[in-house]
Amino acid sequence: MDFKTFLQEFKKITDYDFCDYSENSISRRLQKICDETKMTFEEILRRCVTDRPFMGRVVEDITVNTTELFRDPQVWVSLFNTLYKSLPKTTVTFWHIGCSVGLEVYSNLIMLSELNMLDKCRIIGTDINPRVLSVAKKGEYAYSFNKYFEDNFNAVMRGIGSKSKFSDYFDIDEKKDQIKIKPPLLGKPRFICHNLVMGQSPFAYRVDVVFFRNVMIYFNDALQRKIMAMVYSKMYDNSFLILGKREDLPKSLKSKFISNNIFFQKAN
Amino acid sequence: MSDYKAIVIGGSAGSFALVLKLLSRLSPSFDIPIIICMHRLKHIRSGLVESLNVKSKIKVVEPNDKERIEKGKAYLAPSNYHMFIEFDGTISLSIEDMNNHSRPSIDYTLSSASVAFRDRCVGIILTGANKDGAKGIKDIADKKGFTIVQDPATAEVDTMPKSALRVMKPNLILSPDGIIDFLNNLK
Ligand SMILES: C[S@@+](CC[C@H](N)C(=O)[O-])C[C@H]1O[C@@H](n2cnc3c(N)ncnc32)[C@H](O)[C@@H]1O
Repeated sequence: MDFKTFLQEFKKITDYDFCDYSENSISRRLQKICDETKMTFEEILRRCVTDRPFMGRVVEDITVNTTELFRDPQVWVSLFNTLYKSLPKTTVTFWHIGCSVGLEVYSNLIMLSELNMLDKCRIIGTDINPRVLSVAKKGEYAYSFNKYFEDNFNAVMRGIGSKSKFSDYFDIDEKKDQIKIKPPLLGKPRFICHNLVMGQSPFAYRVDVVFFRNVMIYFNDALQRKIMAMVYSKMYDNSFLILGKREDLPKSLKSKFISNNIFFQKAN
Repeated sequence: MSDYKAIVIGGSAGSFALVLKLLSRLSPSFDIPIIICMHRLKHIRSGLVESLNVKSKIKVVEPNDKERIEKGKAYLAPSNYHMFIEFDGTISLSIEDMNNHSRPSIDYTLSSASVAFRDRCVGIILTGANKDGAKGIKDIADKKGFTIVQDPATAEVDTMPKSALRVMKPNLILSPDGIIDFLNNLK
């Protein structure tokens, strides 16, 4: 059985549709799952029918969850000087799509805290993978393995002229080799499990800022278009959209946004 | 018209100067797309395309995700992303885990090219201090693509070409000048 047939069968059994994911990435993820479970595609499908937790683990292992605190620090500095300074004066709603273990969400919260804006913001992170969302809620991460988070943090603070220290935002436990985000940032965002491919939005209101970085790269062109149309419908005129550094809007939506090198703004 | 749909190049330590030289000595009418995956040092993540474009005879870009591969252009894997060639001739990117301690991984780019282009691509492994790329160039050879490994004796760091030679037998082992001549005579 090839991986495309597997994905079609998987969709029938589980309601999870990965058929329109970028082929290179998804085929290698599936190969990895076969290698690690020592099972063939046929065996995996058969087990998914009867063993729901196993099926859940396959879904979790299919997704790529790599993320970091302040990925691309210079982007965050530019956002600080532009986007953050032109946010509406009323309640601002942020949506992090594909938020993984929450590090991008907490990067945003640190920015808002630096600007004393935490109180007037509502922050939602969504992801298909329940495993990463439970990490996001706890706000706990390995320490020494992620030393570069602190480098990114310092680069951003230097860039925005802040004296804040890493330990202002994180409790560092060297013994447990762990860092944990501190209150009031901890507990502030809401994390919701949500599958973009279903095409529905996870909440009823509209949002002012969408972080949608490095998620669409895992989708093919057709799926990108479908999902972006849904995201577009959740934005107000003038709402902001931030994509990953090497991502672009589908052609069909380009004329509906004004863009600079850092973010897109929905045209009215 | 050449039979090849792409030239796919991997390199690490020492390869920047070499790729620069190669691009600057290409014939300006060279129109087979060149796809380059180079490891970068963490502190020089930006500015690479700009420096290449100063001297290159063809346009060098860091592609966006799903960008279509066009003739007469060179594509450089963006820093901190893996770069793949999809079946439909577009480029896709991923930020998944490092491979051989590298992101971008040369193995990933070359292997995906071997699947997308089969015997219609040329794979080239240059100088480097890492074994990344060995599996990728072997995949290209297995699909009967044309393979070149830089002569280790001419490499600034010979680990990468030597690792490739350990697992496969390339069509040619060439010096940098030999590689440039080879490319310019492809048409
Ligand atoms: C590479 S991470 C990006 C994390 C973060 N935005 C960043 O740029 O650092 C991609 C995330 O998208 C999620 N994802 C993949 N497919 C999804 C889907 N269909 N619906 C919702 N989230 C999805 C994955 O679980 C993963 O956590």
